[in-house]
Amino acid sequence: MPSKNELRGWLLDIYADPEQGVVLWMLDEDGTKRHRLHQPFPTSFYVHGENSDLRSLWRHLKSLSFPLRLSRVERQDLFVEGPLPVLRIEAETPSVQEILFSHLKKQYPGLTYYDADIPVDLRYAAQTGIFPLADFRVLASEDGEVQELETFDSPWLIDAPQVPLLVMALSPDCNPDHREPTALKVHLGGKHYRFPFREERGLLVKLGALLRRHDPDLLLTVWGDNWLIKKLHELMEKHHITLPLSREQGRGVERREERFYHSYGGVIYRGPQVRLFGRIHISTENTVMYHDYGLEGVFEMARVTSLRIQTAARVSPGTGISSMQILTALRQGVLVPWHKQQVEWSKSAYNLLQADRGGMVYQPTIGLHAQVAEIDFISMYPSIMEHFNISPETVGKNGTNSTFVPELEMTIDQDQRGLVPDTLQPLLEKRIKLKQALAGMNPKDTRYRPYKARSSAHKWLLVTCFGYLGYKNARFGRIEAHEAVTAYGREALLRAKEAAEDLGFRVLHMYVDGLWVQKEGASQINDFQPLLEEILDRTGLPTSLEGIYRWIAFLSSRPDPRVPVANRYFGLFQNGDWKVRGIEIRRDDTSRWVKNIQQEMLVLLADAEDAGRLTEQLPHIHALLQSKLVALRQHNVPLEELLISQKISRTLEEYKVPSPAARAAAQLADIGKHLIPGQRVRFLYTRGKPGVYAWDLPRQPDPGSVDTDRYAELLCRAAFTILQPLGVEEQTLRWWMFTNAGYGAAPGFLSGSCSQQTPLLGKLIIDSPYPEPTFL
Amino acid sequence: MGRTVTSITQTFLKERAAFARFRRALRNSDQRVLDDLFASAQKHLAASSYASHALPFETFLLSMLLEEHKEIMRLKREVAELRHALQK
Repeated sequence: MPSKNELRGWLLDIYADPEQGVVLWMLDEDGTKRHRLHQPFPTSFYVHGENSDLRSLWRHLKSLSFPLRLSRVERQDLFVEGPLPVLRIEAETPSVQEILFSHLKKQYPGLTYYDADIPVDLRYAAQTGIFPLADFRVLASEDGEVQELETFDSPWLIDAPQVPLLVMALSPDCNPDHREPTALKVHLGGKHYRFPFREERGLLVKLGALLRRHDPDLLLTVWGDNWLIKKLHELMEKHHITLPLSREQGRGVERREERFYHSYGGVIYRGPQVRLFGRIHISTENTVMYHDYGLEGVFEMARVTSLRIQTAARVSPGTGISSMQILTALRQGVLVPWHKQQVEWSKSAYNLLQADRGGMVYQPTIGLHAQVAEIDFISMYPSIMEHFNISPETVGKNGTNSTFVPELEMTIDQDQRGLVPDTLQPLLEKRIKLKQALAGMNPKDTRYRPYKARSSAHKWLLVTCFGYLGYKNARFGRIEAHEAVTAYGREALLRAKEAAEDLGFRVLHMYVDGLWVQKEGASQINDFQPLLEEILDRTGLPTSLEGIYRWIAFLSSRPDPRVPVANRYFGLFQNGDWKVRGIEIRRDDTSRWVKNIQQEMLVLLADAEDAGRLTEQLPHIHALLQSKLVALRQHNVPLEELLISQKISRTLEEYKVPSPAARAAAQLADIGKHLIPGQRVRFLYTRGKPGVYAWDLPRQPDPGSVDTDRYAELLCRAAFTILQPLGVEEQTLRWWMFTNAGYGAAPGFLSGSCSQQTPLLGKLIIDSPYPEPTFL
Repeated sequence: MGRTVTSITQTFLKERAAFARFRRALRNSDQRVLDDLFASAQKHLAASSYASHALPFETFLLSMLLEEHKEIMRLKREVAELRHALQK
């Protein structure tokens, strides 16, 4: 029989406490009780610098009122040869350490700090092996102080245990950005409640009662971070009623302000954040990629990164992977730098020319192709890092077993396992296991959805891991490691191309980690298997067959039809799935009306038995376009379907020539709704000036004011994207759409519309002709 | 974004822009032929990038030649086929 203070359950939350060190919240194994546990948690950080500076720091520290333990020790800095002498400062609690460090970095900015800004969840995970939602056991004293702790769980298990979390869902009845909500909808334990906001006191009392009676583990809110919690706080102050939002009494909530930043040429907006203590708050609209992987993915992120669930839900995958690297470093006793200091090595001009390049991006063979297989390297860049041991501390080092990076005059030390590959290995292994399990699984299987969610959470971590090797603010980044990865990537892709050509395949396209191949007579999985094996043999990296296309169309650039574009194509797999990239249907700024029609066109094309008979669908497409245009002109299209949603990329004053989005944002600014860069604005194109109507203005626009010509033009462009590979010229399409020209014959049969013999009739389609350039 | 060496696409666009005056002085019909040549070079940017040649324009010229020769070979084949068909 378990002793009175032995507990087993799941870790819900963890945070620092100013007096007690660290606080853990446990949900016990039958899912009924929650325990608040605490543990003293002395926290250390390290300082390196000139002896005289360190002596002065020592004297300063001794004069402070904090009880500190100081010692001189040697530790490993990944970027320095041999052990590094450092001053170790141990504070009694993580909270004291945090205060002390923010004081020291101002007082002694010239010193080098290590392990100084690591969140307590990561420190605790490194020391104990426990992580969010982990199954664990503790021996605790009467007042909840942890004496002994043991986990029975690993983040690398494929089947994570189902934790019986009690979820309370809260959502206002409409988007507060658009209209003031009138009621709060609550869903808890299978029951629905609706509390009107006008009965302010009643709402607080009823919500408070629900929170106290059920004590939910997770508050799943919509617009919680940016509106709801703030609104509840205003009501609480007004009526002097306190809601127990946090489970820890008297702790309130933790807030972060909204911000925006630039990333890969775009502006990203991050809303304000509200976190709770002891209860998990997830605000779906502010959860990075919630739409991609849902709650299951959030839990997976927390389990593999060891970050608190509420943090894991809100951080970018970049911070996620960086946390995993910090964890590896802490476990190996390697110092975690506060600021990255290492600089790029000097290179000769020739070396720079060789090294400073990205992945291999080919220009595909424009046109329509039948029976094409797509072969992808599985997580190519992470696999390369793992396989070739690429890490900031291994590149450019010579050991007894060094490897040479192709193209670059650079070696990689194979004697020691690198920190980055070490971090990646279990994640990659788990991802491959999940992929293999998913490949043979029925989508109705109960494991299918969670597996998919986990696998996509990993995908983002792995994708950003590569970027972080070359990112100037990454703690464990080194541009040379980044260059080595792309060099191996180019080599692998070229070897794959050579393997394909040696086996008689024609390579239609290559894009960083995938290649599209075709061979007469090859149309089944088994026909491509030997190629997959040959590629593994020549590169050492695993590939998978993404699928075989019944047909695929690689598109040209919009302004110049002679020039192919790497990432603009659509294709139909043999199993009926589509893969579509870079065309209107995938773009965020396309109206739903145009997207739906493009989708319908694709569905019509899917009816064709094979690529040779695609043109037989043209009469149906012609009729479809005509009927949609009639509906548009007669104002029979709901206005919501015509909405365009675009990001504003700078502040309104910074626009020299205001874009339609900026003009719509200006209309909103006039009524006091200010958007910040990175936020989206929804609008309609209207006739006359200013040409747009912001959707979030209080009044509905007049349906008669819609600029139907503009929408017809947008539809024409989207239709041309789909029809161009079938040999339809833009002028022909315009006749079909904008004059009463009836449909005559498929373009492949008309002289002048298709310059070569009619390749669309062929079984296997070789180079499709590109039409004469049209200058618009 | 923080690149020291400009990407091959940027280099290509720069080189093409450098011939803007040359292009302007050509007859309209010749301008279109010149555009075709540049489009041929653009088809092989991946190879030009991989070559990391100190003078990237040489790889563009070679790409133009390559596409020209490809076209000659295609035409030769077509002539041979037509001739064969006529002789039958």
